[in-house]
Amino acid sequence: MAQRTYVVVLASVWLVAISLGSAAGETRLRDVIDRSLAETWRRENIQSAPLADDATFLRRVYLDLVGTIPSAEEVQVFLRDYDPDKRAKWIDRLLADPRYAQHQANVWDVILFGRNPPGGDATRKRDGFKRWLAGKFATNTRYDALVRSILLAEEEGSELFYVQFRNQPEEATVAVSRIFLGTQLQCARCHDHPFEDWTQRDFYGMAGFFVRLVVLEEGSGNARRFRIAEKSSGEVLFSGNAKDQVPGRKGEPVKPKFLLGPELNEPPLPNDHKETEPKPGQPLRKPFFSRKEKIAQWITASDNPFFARAAANRFWGQFFGRGLVHPVDDLGSNKSSAVPGLLDTVAQEFVAHGFDVKWLIRELVSTRAYQLASSGPVSEASPRFYERARVRPLSAEELLAAIQVATGFDRTGEKLPGDTQEYFLRYFGEPTNGQGEFQGSLSEHLFLNNSGNLRQMIQPRKGNLAQRLLIMHEPWDKRVELLFLSVLSRYPSEAERSRFVQHLTSPGRPEALLEEAIWVLLNTAEFRFNH
Amino acid sequence: MLGGCRPVEHLSRRALLKGTLLTAGGLVLPNWGALFHSQTIAAENQKRRKHCILLWMNGGASQLDTFDMKPGRPTGGPFRPGATKIPGIQICEYLPRVAQHVDKLAIIRSMRTQSPDHPDGIYHMHTCYKISERVPHPEIGAMIAKYCGDPNSDLPGFVRIGPTGNAGAGYLGPRYEPFSLGREVRLPYFTQSYLSPEAEARRNDLLRFMEERFAQTHAAEPFASHREAKERSWRLVRAKHVFDISRDWPKVRDRYGDTDFGRACFLALKLVEAGVPFVEIGQDNYDSHADNFVCHKANMHVLDPAWASLLEDLNARGLLQDTLVVWMGEVGRTPTINNRAGRDHFIRGWTVVLAGAGIKGGQVYGTTDPDGKDVKENPVSEGDLFATIYTALGINPRVKHYVGTRPIWATPEGSQPIRELLS
Repeated sequence: MAQRTYVVVLASVWLVAISLGSAAGETRLRDVIDRSLAETWRRENIQSAPLADDATFLRRVYLDLVGTIPSAEEVQVFLRDYDPDKRAKWIDRLLADPRYAQHQANVWDVILFGRNPPGGDATRKRDGFKRWLAGKFATNTRYDALVRSILLAEEEGSELFYVQFRNQPEEATVAVSRIFLGTQLQCARCHDHPFEDWTQRDFYGMAGFFVRLVVLEEGSGNARRFRIAEKSSGEVLFSGNAKDQVPGRKGEPVKPKFLLGPELNEPPLPNDHKETEPKPGQPLRKPFFSRKEKIAQWITASDNPFFARAAANRFWGQFFGRGLVHPVDDLGSNKSSAVPGLLDTVAQEFVAHGFDVKWLIRELVSTRAYQLASSGPVSEASPRFYERARVRPLSAEELLAAIQVATGFDRTGEKLPGDTQEYFLRYFGEPTNGQGEFQGSLSEHLFLNNSGNLRQMIQPRKGNLAQRLLIMHEPWDKRVELLFLSVLSRYPSEAERSRFVQHLTSPGRPEALLEEAIWVLLNTAEFRFNH
Repeated sequence: MLGGCRPVEHLSRRALLKGTLLTAGGLVLPNWGALFHSQTIAAENQKRRKHCILLWMNGGASQLDTFDMKPGRPTGGPFRPGATKIPGIQICEYLPRVAQHVDKLAIIRSMRTQSPDHPDGIYHMHTCYKISERVPHPEIGAMIAKYCGDPNSDLPGFVRIGPTGNAGAGYLGPRYEPFSLGREVRLPYFTQSYLSPEAEARRNDLLRFMEERFAQTHAAEPFASHREAKERSWRLVRAKHVFDISRDWPKVRDRYGDTDFGRACFLALKLVEAGVPFVEIGQDNYDSHADNFVCHKANMHVLDPAWASLLEDLNARGLLQDTLVVWMGEVGRTPTINNRAGRDHFIRGWTVVLAGAGIKGGQVYGTTDPDGKDVKENPVSEGDLFATIYTALGINPRVKHYVGTRPIWATPEGSQPIRELLS
């Protein structure tokens, strides 16, 4: 009964979405989004922010599309470009930039693993997996195909996702449902979900698809690799509410069942079947019947009731700070959206465009809403109705890349000290609390204040910003301009210009004064966030 | 949040009451802000704030060779029980100075816990949740820093020294992450400036200039959080001298014992005095699978003077009534003595000791059977212990936080504070 209610609700939302879509006719998704938001603001009586200025837009879209800031020269070229379509032109350029794929891989690495994935040593270094992911984004693989290959884990480099759930089909169930279906099943692991329709049987039904997977570990050190085998037998055992568990009771086997869908139709195993335990070093044997293929197929089907919406919501959240249903991975049946109907429109269009990731990202960042200012008197980081741009901290990867562009360290041809990346992950990897709200940490700032790793990039060395500024013949106010363009991707205000000229021409060694000035700009809130 | 003890709320109620008394002459006080910031109230605030010092016995100390002795039994081992200040309570002969403070101690002899090994036990006894749960639970230090800390303090709220917890601030977020000192109370990385004080001041002024201008047009919360964290990092460097005990240490060294642990206990006293809500000190080498008695004798030699002196000095300064001192590790040790004269990990009945912050001392809670092989009376779980600790500190043990969409409580469902120990 409860299940039917859910389907009906879903269907009615779908209808609203369709009417929105058809009213749009041939128009682009970006226009549909802007119209829909404008209507919402009218209804809610909200004043939206003005369009962000060009410099702010450029920095924002660089960070969001290629994971770093523009160089001073790129900022200047963009600001001097008088083409009315220059924003669209630069969006296309960045989508074609090789750094786009690497950046999306970094984003999805955190989505799929978090910063401290289970699996210890095996999942700590994920360079191979990230390279594989980047390859997928570089060729703009359809989103459904990408997810299918993650779930099949048959391509070389793709196997790591399951390694974090070694021998823990329940954990794989929680992660797969949350990431790809936008559903929070974990409550149903121990008891029927308190406010959703799913029960423990639904949970263990999904776990049945992962219970036969076996992680094979081969080689060691740099040569270590993993393969995912699948056995032909093995069932999840279900023993009721966790509270009523007694030691020793085994539980009954549960048939695999698609979430809120039918049980898996599975041919019986032949009587004479003998299970051979998959072993490292041996060729993978296909199981008699592959449950993994069935779940991968079901999840990524375009008519899956969860998949496209979950994807649309996640990509939306990536660029607008919060999902159309918030948080991005909780599309529960009774969750409402601040902009009713819009998520379904985005999801349908995504499906209609063949799960084309680049197309969707282009539409999202081309909306007027994405390009609004983030400034103003509002204190929330991600406004509920998207009436201004969201403010988000740079990720550890973005911060390290941006600092290298800002300081010109990327032009020196030098390598960073080996521990730099590790420090950045440690101090900037998880800057939020359990609710995703930013919290500045003490250790982050002690690192920024006193670290030789950062200082090394700032101090004058052949080819970097400090060196260029020292040997330039231009007057100091021109040099301050280059300083601001390099670090903050904008021109200084008059007050800033004179304060920095005053600082740089005060008594003392010019190298030291310059080092201080660059450090200051790197430590501003303006630099720390994408806004 | 729904904490039992929001120090700030405590303060405002008490402060207002006091303020009213002070002006009982009939004067109406319209200026609440000024009242709030008066000297009296600051002092009152500092006085009433709760603290906690956790003496962490890394590896798991033996209950049978310390606080739950079984003389004459096959499991008893060679140490003899010694008399204490309280008739009827005996503890190990190698804790003679602690024995003089048993009137302050509540000895829980009936810990029955669930995680039998080191990483999982360390996690469990720092968070009261299982490590396998996958939710990033915060350590007790982060929780206490959040609910008992002064948000305006120059010092971090969660300080730890030596081998300690393994969970960090978890879902409470980076604001409450531990500030970890190394052995010999060495300050963590990146607390030493590479600039001269003048250059640093000049640099920081220039940053403030930028931040103030930006704040005028950018009101979003993350920007403010960034600025505040930066200011905190600067204030910490200014307050760093609190960590420097070199001047006073020679005067107390003989009492605390000239050891890393002794020095850390004295530093903990200083930090609590300076307002730090939580300090944890790890003592190593309890994991005595072999030579249990050699290990424990040596460890108690270090532990006894340090712990006893800490209790004495907290008491003498009037701090003990608001400071909970906890003695525990991740596991107890087996009653059975193995063939290497060692004791292995044991979770069926072991001991934790509490003192201060209103804990009723001079009592033993719970018992084990004659050989110490199981709890006989009043088993205490991790959750019960944490509920007791939180209640003693004025924190609601059922305070709720969210991890994503999921509600999480400070202690697991069904956890009960031990009423007999609480005043």
